[in-house]
Amino acid sequence: MTPLAGSVALNLALGFSIISIVSLSIYTSNNDERINLLGHRSALASSFLVFLSTFILSYQLMISNFDIDYVARYTSFETPTMYKISALWAGQSGSLLFWLFILSIFSVIVILQNQTKHHKLMPWIVISISVVQIFFLVLTNFITNPFKPTDTDFVIQNGNGLNPLLQNLTMAIHPPTLYLGYVGLTVPFAFAFSALVNKDLGSLWIKSIRRWTLISWLFLSIGIILGGWWAYQELGWGGYWAWDPVENASFMPWLTLTAFLHSIIIQEKSGMLRFWNMILIFITFTLTIFGTFLTRSGVMSSVHSFTESSLGPVFLSFVFFLLIVSFALIYIRKDHLKSAKKIESFASREGGFLLNNVIFVVLCFAVFWGTIFPVVSEAVRGTKITVGAPFFNQINTPIGLILLGLTGVGPLLAWRKTSNEKIKNNFFLPTLISGILFFILMALGYDAYVVISFSLCLFVIIAIYMEFYKGAKSRIVRFNESFFVALYKIISKNRSRYGGYIVHVGIVLMFVGFTGNAFDIEKEFGLKKGSSEFVGDYEFLLTDITEEERPNHYAWISHIRLLDSQGNIVEDLYPEKRVYFHENPDINKRQPHSEIDIHSTMNLDIYSIFSAIDANGTAFLKIMINPLVKWVWIGGYVLVLGTMIALWPRKEL
Amino acid sequence: MASILGYSFIFFFTIISVFYVIQPLFLEKVKYSVDETNLSLKREKTILYRSIKELEMEFDIGNIDKVEFEKRRNLLKNEVSIILKKLKKK
Repeated sequence: MTPLAGSVALNLALGFSIISIVSLSIYTSNNDERINLLGHRSALASSFLVFLSTFILSYQLMISNFDIDYVARYTSFETPTMYKISALWAGQSGSLLFWLFILSIFSVIVILQNQTKHHKLMPWIVISISVVQIFFLVLTNFITNPFKPTDTDFVIQNGNGLNPLLQNLTMAIHPPTLYLGYVGLTVPFAFAFSALVNKDLGSLWIKSIRRWTLISWLFLSIGIILGGWWAYQELGWGGYWAWDPVENASFMPWLTLTAFLHSIIIQEKSGMLRFWNMILIFITFTLTIFGTFLTRSGVMSSVHSFTESSLGPVFLSFVFFLLIVSFALIYIRKDHLKSAKKIESFASREGGFLLNNVIFVVLCFAVFWGTIFPVVSEAVRGTKITVGAPFFNQINTPIGLILLGLTGVGPLLAWRKTSNEKIKNNFFLPTLISGILFFILMALGYDAYVVISFSLCLFVIIAIYMEFYKGAKSRIVRFNESFFVALYKIISKNRSRYGGYIVHVGIVLMFVGFTGNAFDIEKEFGLKKGSSEFVGDYEFLLTDITEEERPNHYAWISHIRLLDSQGNIVEDLYPEKRVYFHENPDINKRQPHSEIDIHSTMNLDIYSIFSAIDANGTAFLKIMINPLVKWVWIGGYVLVLGTMIALWPRKEL
Repeated sequence: MASILGYSFIFFFTIISVFYVIQPLFLEKVKYSVDETNLSLKREKTILYRSIKELEMEFDIGNIDKVEFEKRRNLLKNEVSIILKKLKKK
């Protein structure tokens, strides 16, 4: 399997995608089933050629064929096998091919699953997917070809190797997870586009994409959480979210997709918000392309690097193309998107969902503006004004707390309208208990945000508990079941609803973790062997420093004994200072890296970083005490569990 | 040798793919005949049955009062009966 075969496979895939679009467009006017089949088969052939091309590149990475520029840039003979595979998505051209690979998998699934089920919608669904496929095929064929040969006249002895920060299991999984989320959104986008073209705008298309949307949301959520986990474990600054443009790129579509997941429930139930749902899904999909543009065009480092490569302008043109075509189609079909019904009362679940949608979109806009502001300022004024984490925290913390509150309010409201009596009954218990907590925390002198956050967390948990309790109780009364059997039955018979509530519990737990940030303690100091330092209630005793040469790096390991306030040993921590590519004669190519060690409990994380070591043997350490961080990851697990419950198959529609 | 293998590989895949794609053109011309309305009505019926079940649950857990429950259930039942009539006609 030569690199040439990979390159030709990409050329052919582009040709077949174009044939698919042309033949399906002809089919929409002549209804000749042979042309329809030809169109579908072209799309399938294009996808299989992309598979072939991806497998060829993976194989070249495995055998370390440094004649290919991409392989030489991102692997070396010493790169462990697992990271040779993950090098496929480590660089620009490889990651774009990987995008295409996932899109091709989804394209095959959509075609095989829906060819007869959604016969009328399918031509435009396949056309939409093929347009996206063509965009990525153009990029990988003409702008950043992963099979480009190395630009040297001599034989390359060894490749550059993979960035040490990427040589981490979480980082090997994180990009594919995120990409599954990003690319998965092409399917709801294609269904929405086709429904608009075909004027089939009832709730059936919404039902058909529900599973795809939820799967994309799940992968996007897992990708974001894994990204945070990786940053926390690997980057060594003690946090998990820095409002970095790359993080924001995945967070923005997550916000609008979350809004969409809520608002389609209203369309399914009452046929309202058709117009809004179309806008949301188009914006969400465009944001996934925009996110890939942000991370891959180099625009965030400088507007100049954006113009140096043709990748950025092509990406931006595609973003505008998507927006113009989508919104023009929405405009043309505006009369078909009008809903017959209107929201009866804002004191209803529909009202709550609508408010949550508006807030999600506002939050997304705040993140969007903060993310692109440095680029805009550089383009307009010539100087880059960086928008840091304080801006994002200041704007987004109150908005996030409102959303948290709404998570609790939603379940307490009835569909259509909630009577005053119901409002009183439903809100009484959660408001009373969370109100008591609010005043206790206020009296203890905690920060306002901490007080509000913990009180809202409790409010939401009680509201959700009441939903489970009422549901189980109704079964106990009707079927005389035990509490746990009734609980199991209500969940299994209403998986979307209760799965959704479990997701909300996960979100609450994550908020508990986020609130822990308010209590962070941080200290930097130097220690000689045998000396110690206090941070918070803990003593850090440096017992030894050892050195070790490993296959792809050299490591200095500090042995820190962690003692509590009574002098009891809590744990031994071993943060490391590493130098990757230490044998490289070119000092500039050696890469220092701090491998952290964490003592983690439910209450707090003790985060140790070995920053440096001097000639006298003094170890410079940074210690951070981060309360409640573990709840962020536990919340993540609960969120995944809830989504899996909601996704569990039921009778097909 | 490697390049000969490579070219043979490309040639083989190109031929297979092209044949697979153009094969429908050798079939007889047909028009799609499955009644999509029927399928769509069946799906709509399932959705309505689900909505009735969800409504009953809302009532059981006390989220809506009896008057509202009966009004909405009757509406949904009417919609189901209209669909059933349409399906019978087909």
